[in-house]
Amino acid sequence: MPTINEKLTEEIRAKAKALLAEGTVAAVIGYARGSLPMTVKPTVVRTADDCGKLVWNSFCVLNLANYLPEVLKSVEPPRGPRDPKPEGPLPKVAVLATGCWSRNIVVQTQEHQVDRDRVMVMGVASRGMVSRRKVEANFAGREILAVEELDHDLVVKGADFEEKINRWSMVRDNCHTCTHPDPVLVDVRIGEPASERKNPNPFQQVDDIEKKSNDERWAWFTSEFATCIRCYACRNACPLCYCPTCFVDDAKPQWVGKSLDAVDTGLFHLLRAYHCAGRCTDCGACESVCPMGINMRMLTKKLNKDVLDLYGMEAGMQPGSPLPLTTYATNDPQKFIVTEAGAVKEGE
Amino acid sequence: MKVFRLSQTELDNMVQQWSQNRRVYRPAADRQQSAHADCAPGWERVAGSAPLTMAVGPPKTSVKTFLFPQPETMQTFSLKSSDPDKALMKEPEKLTEKQIVAGLRPCDARSVMLNNLPYREDPFYQANLARTVMVGFTCSAMCATCFCDQVGGSPMGTEGLDIAISQIDGSFVAEVLTPAGEELTAGLDLAPADDTDINALAARRAASPQVDSAKLAALKGRDLNRLYEAPLWKPLGESCINCGACTFNCPTCYCFDVQDEVVRGYGRRIRYWDSCMFPLYSLHTSGHNPRGRKMQRTRNRFMHKLKYFPDRYGPFSCVGCGRCVQDCPVNIDIREVMSDLLTVE
Amino acid sequence: MTNQTNETSETNQTSQTSNWEPKIIAFLCNWCSYAGADLAGVSRFQYPPNIRIVRVPCSGRVSENMIMSALKSGADGILISGCHPGDCHYINGNLFARRRFPLLSNLLDFVGIEPGRINFSWVSASEGEQFADIVKTVTEKVKALGPATRLVKKIDGRQAA
Repeated sequence: MPTINEKLTEEIRAKAKALLAEGTVAAVIGYARGSLPMTVKPTVVRTADDCGKLVWNSFCVLNLANYLPEVLKSVEPPRGPRDPKPEGPLPKVAVLATGCWSRNIVVQTQEHQVDRDRVMVMGVASRGMVSRRKVEANFAGREILAVEELDHDLVVKGADFEEKINRWSMVRDNCHTCTHPDPVLVDVRIGEPASERKNPNPFQQVDDIEKKSNDERWAWFTSEFATCIRCYACRNACPLCYCPTCFVDDAKPQWVGKSLDAVDTGLFHLLRAYHCAGRCTDCGACESVCPMGINMRMLTKKLNKDVLDLYGMEAGMQPGSPLPLTTYATNDPQKFIVTEAGAVKEGE
Repeated sequence: MKVFRLSQTELDNMVQQWSQNRRVYRPAADRQQSAHADCAPGWERVAGSAPLTMAVGPPKTSVKTFLFPQPETMQTFSLKSSDPDKALMKEPEKLTEKQIVAGLRPCDARSVMLNNLPYREDPFYQANLARTVMVGFTCSAMCATCFCDQVGGSPMGTEGLDIAISQIDGSFVAEVLTPAGEELTAGLDLAPADDTDINALAARRAASPQVDSAKLAALKGRDLNRLYEAPLWKPLGESCINCGACTFNCPTCYCFDVQDEVVRGYGRRIRYWDSCMFPLYSLHTSGHNPRGRKMQRTRNRFMHKLKYFPDRYGPFSCVGCGRCVQDCPVNIDIREVMSDLLTVE
Repeated sequence: MTNQTNETSETNQTSQTSNWEPKIIAFLCNWCSYAGADLAGVSRFQYPPNIRIVRVPCSGRVSENMIMSALKSGADGILISGCHPGDCHYINGNLFARRRFPLLSNLLDFVGIEPGRINFSWVSASEGEQFADIVKTVTEKVKALGPATRLVKKIDGRQAA
């Protein structure tokens, strides 16, 4: 009996092959098998014959929308920097997308990084992606040589052990609290649609930190980011971070130093999270790629919570409307304004 | 060469004794956080009496953080007009206090020797090297991602170690290899190893994977331009996200950048790690960037490690620790790159 | 990684001296708040001299990089002031700022920067007295918090690690 993911893999291969063979798209962005247990390689397939290497499993943690702008560029006919755009429509690119990745494609469209007409979204509902780190921590001290995926369990094998663990318990934090597993854009449907997930409090982790005192929160912040090595894997894996020159590379003025100084590192994470405010879909790629296991998602999650509370918007959920921070309402809350003594404060 | 035999308790006591009057560092027990460490991520100061046990494979981060830490202050200066020494660059006192790194693996120890090749005349690196004593554990087992034997090392290697400790049948056999190592063990009441221990160690050495230079010889013989123009770089460069995870956790990546930082009139010139994966790395002042495209940077890193460095210095600039394989977000595997390169005509 | 321990020397300074004066960076929009501050000066309304004014074209121009840079340099408090909503010289710059500002302020509170260090106000060009009052309020707030020690960059001149 093939598992759910094995069936999805077959469907993805077949549909990708059809899209490429018919010439509907010039490239398909998906995943290939990785060289280590619980890893996959993001890959771009450009010929129908190559589609056999596409896979889909519970370890697809990288956000494929990250590759979309550059692959779109790569399928255009080559031209010099000053040559005019060619006549006629440009080639299309297909990309696999779950709920959060498709929302990122919406954000990319809203920000004019991606032309919606050139993208074929192969929408697949996510059942939650497994955190490799959680599995390894579960088997601390024992080397994992292979992981076999069943529908609801993982069979973890080592040199001298084989154990079955529950898949959902190993799923990433952001997937646990996800309320939009189904893609918001679908051009080619893979598998069955999923319904919205109800979650009484998707921001539980943020609330837990907010409950702490000011000093405790500072202690949390400094210890969480103490092991950052400034590799920028989080930034590079994020589809929102596409600035040609990142603010960390600004020299005049230099906002953030480049060494491992605790203040500079803290500022880097705060500013990067802030630049994602109102745009982040909590795909979790940043946390999944961090080699040091830092939980930097808490910052963007807090911002997402505020954007939802204050402005009632979630990134990528309204394809036609502007982004939360590129618009305003005449009655936006302004409780934070400092007024002169004796003035009537809002709400009184 | 003195060889001692130690039980786990004797080993821990020895490390404890060292930590009484010297800084001793070990791999961080909790691999995720080291909030109050006074050293780089992945390592911690030996303070309590937790036993020194080694997980299979190398520690999370490499030993290069001790030899060229980041940030490393090269000079300090003051820009305050009231200061008579205004704008004078001063070199801070170089630390001479000995530090002991306990718990590195032969791959990391070998990386020290490899980095020493380009850093022969670097005064900061040499000063740090001179004051660091390396106490390492040889490997009785290799991880699935370890491949030290393919790139010039071996799991039982001792290159770069001052004391090499091997675990044989539940106890430890410690080989003291250098005067620095002898200084550490002098005066300690340690039982010398007997012939059975020494023979067992030799047998273990003979049985463990030996250095295999086939790949090195093969790649050295290949034409550089052919490798440079190989078709494998395009798909590799496409999936690479050009972060610095591989370069920063790699023991043999040694590039750095120098910058001045000034805060309220007091400044320092620091050196910090740079990565060839970052576009700014090769940006010229004219604005031209010879490696402006992602693929060029990805290709450059592998060509450096597997071709340019061996052509210039001899060995691969890689010790086979496997950290890049484990940490790469997109699962670019240097072993696969190596075998792909070997198939290029 | 040793910078966390530098906090003690600064806090010693607070407890010993009661004549520490906070340094507050004020980003004032050119058309309303800066003019309002000017009016306060011309009208001789007294306000604490702790603020250092940076003139910007619009409160919407103030980027989070600037605010964090001020904190990093050791500013004890920050005030950003713009035109009243509806009066922006650039029509809607302050309306965008009104959206962005609470997000930053909540985020900083979330990571443990004391609330009250960063402040935001609307001051029009004719509100000289109100400006003086707001500066007094903010200065008192920041004074009560003590010198800034979190996210303040320090260089100790020694080799790290």
